[in-house]
Amino acid sequence: MFDRIVAHLRAPVRIDPALDERVMAEVSTLPTPTSGRPAAAVWRWLAPLAGLAAAATVLAVMARPTTPSTHKLQFVLVAPQAATVSLVGDFNDWDAARTPMHPLRADGSVWSAVVPLGPGRYHYAFLVNGSRWLADPAAPTASDDGFGTPSSVVTVSGSGRGEGT
Amino acid sequence: MRIAALFAALTLATRVAAQEPRLERLDSAARAPVAALLDSARAAGLPPEPLIQRALEGTTKGAPADRVVAAVRRLATDLGRARDALGQSADPLELEAGAAALRAGASPGALAQLRRARHQPLMVPLAVLADLVASGVPPDSAAAAVLVLAGSARDADLVEFRRAVERDIALGASPAGAATGGARAAAGVTDLNSTARTGSARPRRP
Repeated sequence: MFDRIVAHLRAPVRIDPALDERVMAEVSTLPTPTSGRPAAAVWRWLAPLAGLAAAATVLAVMARPTTPSTHKLQFVLVAPQAATVSLVGDFNDWDAARTPMHPLRADGSVWSAVVPLGPGRYHYAFLVNGSRWLADPAAPTASDDGFGTPSSVVTVSGSGRGEGT
Repeated sequence: MRIAALFAALTLATRVAAQEPRLERLDSAARAPVAALLDSARAAGLPPEPLIQRALEGTTKGAPADRVVAAVRRLATDLGRARDALGQSADPLELEAGAAALRAGASPGALAQLRRARHQPLMVPLAVLADLVASGVPPDSAAAAVLVLAGSARDADLVEFRRAVERDIALGASPAGAATGGARAAAGVTDLNSTARTGSARPRRP
């Protein structure tokens, strides 16, 4: 009996296929940024369970291609207590001043930045209030480089569709 | 003597800055070693950009110079190992993703198998392999799963497969079970290991 219960608990759990659609429909009610506004934004990824366990929730959004091989990705961070947030990574030479994130909502709880990315695999992280590094809890984790703070990775395919986290 | 040493240091710093202006952001103790690693990488035909980014990441995060240099050296070594496994024709994006997969724990043999199994760019399969291992999937299980799908699955399918595995893990499945089950379901096979060995599966969309 016990073994059967354990086996049942260890079995992979299948999510209701409609879950993604319901979550995305809810997320899509958020206002889009004024700059780099995607014409037909497609929400690419959201890990609600991972986000629940994190201090902040992040998702990346695929937008229309800017060139045949470059796509705009929208990074979104839920950080209600933040005064400033920067998106820092391989795509901006790890320059914390180059890609400030902007509040999407009047209450300042949701921060966003749109970055054009060509095909590749990029390391990135969020810098909150100029001092606190935060990895993307909804994206794959980069291998530890011994720098003391984690980073995330986003992979953009060269096959015509960016993949976003 | 002191003047000569100072002149030599200034000359080296000027040369480094001229080669790659972004290195000026590095701690002075890291600048010359990193520049030397970049020179070695270029001479070996390896892409220098990932090394520059790793050095800038460490610097921006406030890591000590020795850690920055060690991280850059480690990445240069991994890029070389990736090129050995993937072959001279591997492009910079494949090499960077291959280095990440190796650093995560994948074997060079798995990378070589992927090269043989997929006649399309390998950047996304290698990235998915690295990401699966980072999610806790044992390297052998991750490699077997990606190999099953790599033959004909599209890049988008591989990314979706990775997301499905991560969802299953988040919901309590064992990482190995999630990867194996997901790949089996995606490829429509019953014996994942034998399929991975022969590479004879006809993957379908996950």
